Amino acid sequence: MTLRVLLVEDDRELCRTLKDAMTAEGYEVFTAASLSEAFALLTGLGARPTSGGAPVDLVLLDLGLPDGDGEQLLAALRQKHTVPLIVISARESDGQKVRLLDAGADDYLVKPFSIRELLARMRVGLRHRGTSVSPAVTRYAVGALSVDLGTHEVTLAGADVHLTPTEFNLLARLVRSAGQVVTHRQLLMDVWGAEFTEHTHYLRLYMAQLRGKLEDNPADPRLLMNEPGVGYRIVEPQG
Amino acid sequence: MIPRPGIAASADFRPAHLRRAWRVVKEAALSGTVAPVKDDDAITPRRMGKWPWAWACAVWTVAWLLMLGLDRHIGLAQAAITLVLASALAAIWLPTLASLGTTLLAVMAFDWFLVPPKHAFAVDLTEDMLLLAEILILSWVVTGLLARGRVLAARARRSARHADQLRHLGDALRDAEDPLQRGEALRQALQDLLGAPPRLVLLRNETPTPQDDQASTTLGDPSADDLVGLWHCVRLCRQFGPGTGHEQELPALYLPLRGSEDEAFGAAMIAVNPAERIADDVLVQAQALCDQMGQLLHRARTQRQADSAQARAQGQAVRNALLAAISHDYRTPLAAIMGAASSLRDQGAKLAPEQRERLAQSIVAETRQLSRLTDNTLQLVRLDAPGVQLHLDWESPDELVGVAVERARKHHDPERRIKVWAEPGLPLVRCDAVLFSQMLENLIDNALKYSDPPAPVELDVRRHGQHIVFAVRDNGPGIEPQWREKIFEVFQRGDWRSGSSNSAAQRGAGVGLAVCRSIALAHGGELKLRQRSQGGSSFECWLREQEAPRVDEHDPATNRARP
Repeated sequence: MTLRVLLVEDDRELCRTLKDAMTAEGYEVFTAASLSEAFALLTGLGARPTSGGAPVDLVLLDLGLPDGDGEQLLAALRQKHTVPLIVISARESDGQKVRLLDAGADDYLVKPFSIRELLARMRVGLRHRGTSVSPAVTRYAVGALSVDLGTHEVTLAGADVHLTPTEFNLLARLVRSAGQVVTHRQLLMDVWGAEFTEHTHYLRLYMAQLRGKLEDNPADPRLLMNEPGVGYRIVEPQG
Repeated sequence: MIPRPGIAASADFRPAHLRRAWRVVKEAALSGTVAPVKDDDAITPRRMGKWPWAWACAVWTVAWLLMLGLDRHIGLAQAAITLVLASALAAIWLPTLASLGTTLLAVMAFDWFLVPPKHAFAVDLTEDMLLLAEILILSWVVTGLLARGRVLAARARRSARHADQLRHLGDALRDAEDPLQRGEALRQALQDLLGAPPRLVLLRNETPTPQDDQASTTLGDPSADDLVGLWHCVRLCRQFGPGTGHEQELPALYLPLRGSEDEAFGAAMIAVNPAERIADDVLVQAQALCDQMGQLLHRARTQRQADSAQARAQGQAVRNALLAAISHDYRTPLAAIMGAASSLRDQGAKLAPEQRERLAQSIVAETRQLSRLTDNTLQLVRLDAPGVQLHLDWESPDELVGVAVERARKHHDPERRIKVWAEPGLPLVRCDAVLFSQMLENLIDNALKYSDPPAPVELDVRRHGQHIVFAVRDNGPGIEPQWREKIFEVFQRGDWRSGSSNSAAQRGAGVGLAVCRSIALAHGGELKLRQRSQGGSSFECWLREQEAPRVDEHDPATNRARP
């Protein structure tokens, strides 16, 4: 069964290019140039068994829409479905990008981006479908590192790595969203608690400790990636 | 000479010098009775000026004693001379009118007591009649001359005082940073001059069409009615009130603060008694004081206008240069994209797959270039705007470097020349992560562009005294001394690394280094260029170390770590 993608983007040229590219990859693409059009499409399309009842399997949402804020669509969508949603934004809208990620968007791409990057992010998004219902990822392996979320075992090139509970919690939170960016706020909230959401310096220090234990060169990370002003991302698992 | 409005030409046909003399006498006759501020118009020596009437009486007494006592021994002529002398001496102390009166009485008494027939006003001889007339006229002339001297002396003293006053006010105003703050000085000067506390309205800019109390500063708490009068005066730019020839019946004198011939920058009002006459020179002085303030306000406005015009012109010039530089930078990648894309469209079928691939690669690479250029330009404009807000947070130097290197590697480093090193245990730095990594990426990109492979480009972070130094080093040919400062200016471009065979060197630094410097400055840091001893350049961003907030030992996560 082909996967359905809703593309909400008001630039006609970009919209067509993206649609062609995704169609070539085998997706069924619906496009909307405004919020109202997107709402109409979502209501008009029937529910799909592959997406837990949502009318589409994935949403690509541009932020600058002529008739309103992308946040409205996200809020409406999140009330019923966990369908993956990737934000497409220009660099100037950093604040809004972070707000959408905190509100439940799965990932973001900064314009201009390459098709290859978009398709990769879409694959990650689709792989994570439904993780909030059942933790699909329990084992994570990339390069020499392997993490078992069930047994709390972390090994690097076969050798055990000792992590403090906070370090492990932080790593685990990233691993559960591997390949996707997790905002500072989400990390602080999930690892330290709601009253620590402004304490980004905690995050910096613990990330530095994690890098020191897991990366070859902490200043040249290959595993724990930083998205300045937004959050962190652990690279996608292989295989 | 331009006829002054307000002073009507009088229908007086007397020669000018006579008119002047008449005015002096008139003034002298009135002096001491009407001027609101008493002038010291005496011409007697100071220690003899205390009891004027006593002195005058003494003179006349002595004179009459002499005249009557020596009546038998002296002739009429000697007695007449004594009378003239006494009259002249008495005139030194007496006011003019009194002096004229006493002289007239003295001449009549002289006639009664001394001129034959004695004890009668009749005069026998024609020569005695003539003598009496001569005595009277001579005495009066002396009195008149003295009076004139007295007026001139008073006037001279007054002008000296007025000149002093103007100079003081001028000094006070000149030192003022904001002339509006010096209204008090003018107020004091007017009060000294006219005796009553004045009320003032001062304007900063052009006269607003309606009465606008926001656009003005008031002093001396003028009432609503006063304000209406003051604003009227500002608008008319003319004095009115008693003594001005306009609306004489008003209870107050209104004076405009004239900045130029027909523009007032405020007005002053001083309550005066309409019955009292204000001397012309006092009015002129008051107006001069007001005009001094007006001119200062005018000058201040002109200066402001000139400053803002200059700032505008400068801003325009900078913008034009910026736009020229940027559009040049845009054209190069656009031309490459246009060439590659049109070639794909028109000759696609004829090209080998590898050629097509190369063209597509070139489009992607040039688009990246354009995208970065756009980011830099936007950032530059944003940072140059007043009141720019940075999203400051505590960031780890490792991460800042990591992000920049990752991005640079992805897009510009096919040969993997970038080497990174960070001193372990560096403290967190307070910065805007997005901006800061943009700066590092620009510096890396710059270093890659201007040094030829396979020479490495090094990015390293270390502590240097109180500073954290982010350095990007290349092994290129270095920068000519005359360019070392200029390359940070946005409009400067040139073949400043002519030794490089890298074709990218032909594309100037453009916006890249300018935005780097702006970012460093916005963080309170510095971007320095150092020549390396073994050749090549080192671009270094120096940030002052700040004390980061401590991580609480008892945070919940740590507690969970040590149950």
